[in-house]
Amino acid sequence: MEAAEIDDILDDWFIESLKSYKDLHVYQLEHPTQVLEWTSRKTVCVAGYSSSRNEMLELRLPLKLLADENKGLCAERDFKVVHGGFSEGPICCLRHIPGTRCVVTNDGQSSDLQLWDLGGDDCDVIRRTGSIQGRSVSHTGSRIAAQRSTPPQVLHGAQSSNVQLTHLGTGETLYKLEADSEDPLSCLKFVGDTVFLASCCNGSFCIADTRTSAAPQVSPAPSGESVLWWTDASAAPQQACCKVIRLSSSGQALVSDLRNLGGTVCKAQLGIQTPPCKLEDVTVLWAPALDGCFSVSGFSGLVQIYDTSGWRTELQDTQPLFQHCGHAVSSQHTDDSVPPAITSHVWHPERLRTLLSAASDGSIHVWDWVEPERN
Amino acid sequence: MFPCGSMDLLFTPQVRPESSGLAIIHHSMYVCELPANHRFPMAKFPRVLHFLLQDQVITEKQVWVPEIASKELLSGVHTEGYLNNFISGRIDEKEQRRTGFPWSKGIVRRCRYETGGTVLAAEVALQRGLACSTAGGTHHAFPSYGSGFCLLNDLAVAGKYLMNSSSRNRKVLIVDLDVHQGDGTAFIFKDEPSVFTFSVHCGKNFPLHKQQSDLDISIEDGLEDKEYLFTVADHLPWLMESFRPDLVLYDAGIDPHWEDELGRLRLTDQGLYQRDFYVMKTVVSRGVPIATVIGGGYSKDIDKLARRHSIVHRAATQVWRECGM
Repeated sequence: MEAAEIDDILDDWFIESLKSYKDLHVYQLEHPTQVLEWTSRKTVCVAGYSSSRNEMLELRLPLKLLADENKGLCAERDFKVVHGGFSEGPICCLRHIPGTRCVVTNDGQSSDLQLWDLGGDDCDVIRRTGSIQGRSVSHTGSRIAAQRSTPPQVLHGAQSSNVQLTHLGTGETLYKLEADSEDPLSCLKFVGDTVFLASCCNGSFCIADTRTSAAPQVSPAPSGESVLWWTDASAAPQQACCKVIRLSSSGQALVSDLRNLGGTVCKAQLGIQTPPCKLEDVTVLWAPALDGCFSVSGFSGLVQIYDTSGWRTELQDTQPLFQHCGHAVSSQHTDDSVPPAITSHVWHPERLRTLLSAASDGSIHVWDWVEPERN
Repeated sequence: MFPCGSMDLLFTPQVRPESSGLAIIHHSMYVCELPANHRFPMAKFPRVLHFLLQDQVITEKQVWVPEIASKELLSGVHTEGYLNNFISGRIDEKEQRRTGFPWSKGIVRRCRYETGGTVLAAEVALQRGLACSTAGGTHHAFPSYGSGFCLLNDLAVAGKYLMNSSSRNRKVLIVDLDVHQGDGTAFIFKDEPSVFTFSVHCGKNFPLHKQQSDLDISIEDGLEDKEYLFTVADHLPWLMESFRPDLVLYDAGIDPHWEDELGRLRLTDQGLYQRDFYVMKTVVSRGVPIATVIGGGYSKDIDKLARRHSIVHRAATQVWRECGM
């Protein structure tokens, strides 16, 4: 494509984006990240995933985005690096321990975890402070989950047969999940103070409580051809209204209610061009503050947002409510003919429609989308 | 001091101001309804006049009211096909998206009044030396399509009309200091020796697909007052000397301001005032008439935006006073 044609596409998208977004900020990292983890309302951690040395950074969001009033007073429209450090290997999973300045990482090649101190106001270096040995061999890496607790603890595992809760200070194992599946975990997440979900990439998941050694409640894998599944659970204050979404690599989405693990509340078929084939390709997330909405990345170079409120128990096609094309469009300026893949995305924990997305070209976007008018 | 000679005023203003004060061109039809939450700050136009009156910078007697730009006037720049489609609402979905505006009868009307206002400002400037519209600067409009919140190119229509409206070709200098390149205007006059297009704009900004003005100064993100003023001062005086325009049209866009949502420069209110004062003083002191339009500015705070747009009128008032006009 001629340079002028590319410029025209970008110009068109710029005008379009004025209507589709309340805010949109673009940042370019030197190296792409596969992890996006909030460490506060205003700060997020990213880290490289190359095979050798990688940077870990804590970034502060552009002040212009955060200022709801007096936006005009904030000239700062850039992300700012507030803390940084180095890891000797790739970082494929990164979790912040709430209430601390500690993050826990995994390299995606084993089940071992590394512990880090992000640093405070007086120090801008992220330091490695220790490690936790994993209990199993893994080639896909561990999932990590953390809930606010005293003393600080971390839940982790590469398969449901070796999920454990570990005391961060002493390394003591406080809890082990009674399960025996060797299928790699696709999601590990707290849905309450001590209740958590562990899902496998075959689509089965279980709910357990770290306070008891009782067997977990299990939801079996959905029937059909064996494909990859990704899962997310909404973390509701009471378990009663917690919903689980499962999405297959062929684009089938199932919503279940934790009160009835075996059943399906509703389902739909997403339009898919190329089924993704690697576990780390896809991210599926419930919107924390928009009831019934979830987001997907990894099926195309876009982040898509769906609304399940119109879904039924019979399978039907569904269209996204909104699509973020920014990474694909703004990458046109390079000579690569392959559009960048979205490596990760995450919702802001409080702001209704703000998301962060990262792509394989090192771009990071933070965007506040406008709900399109529905006919 | 100002070129005399027979001059047919295209417009007979509905209100002919009695005072000999600085002419401010305004029409209540500069606005139209837009869908709720539309990004374009349409409400700013009447607020500019409101603040000038409230702050007693001007009185009502200084306000001139333009007529709507006729199809004939617009056809000096825009194609027959585009004008027909535009006026009758046959602009397709894709074209509308590129302009950023959904088509409506209201938006057609307001764009035509805005263009009429810029032409009237130019005519009054020719008569009196200096005149300012409370709208204008739609420099992304091309002959056959609109773009970037611009549907008709008011500066081009005024430039073309005034160029031709005297017995000998008038030379028109268009000084465009909006933070975005005046690409439409540059394209329209690229082969016209009587009109010189001068644009100072931020390089890494819309439009990425740039046209070629007669003089383009592309500046880096983050430029502040002092360096920006130096940049303008580096070029305007020699342009005046070498091109020797009979009329200057000045786009005083405020989007170089550091608070602007879409601009990427760091000018202050003071910097904008100094810029506008400098441009107008430089032109007027050479005995050349100058008409100003407000250009671009984007902010969710309409009042702040309108006050900032009124900086050019305040600077013009000072120039008017200092030059004993």
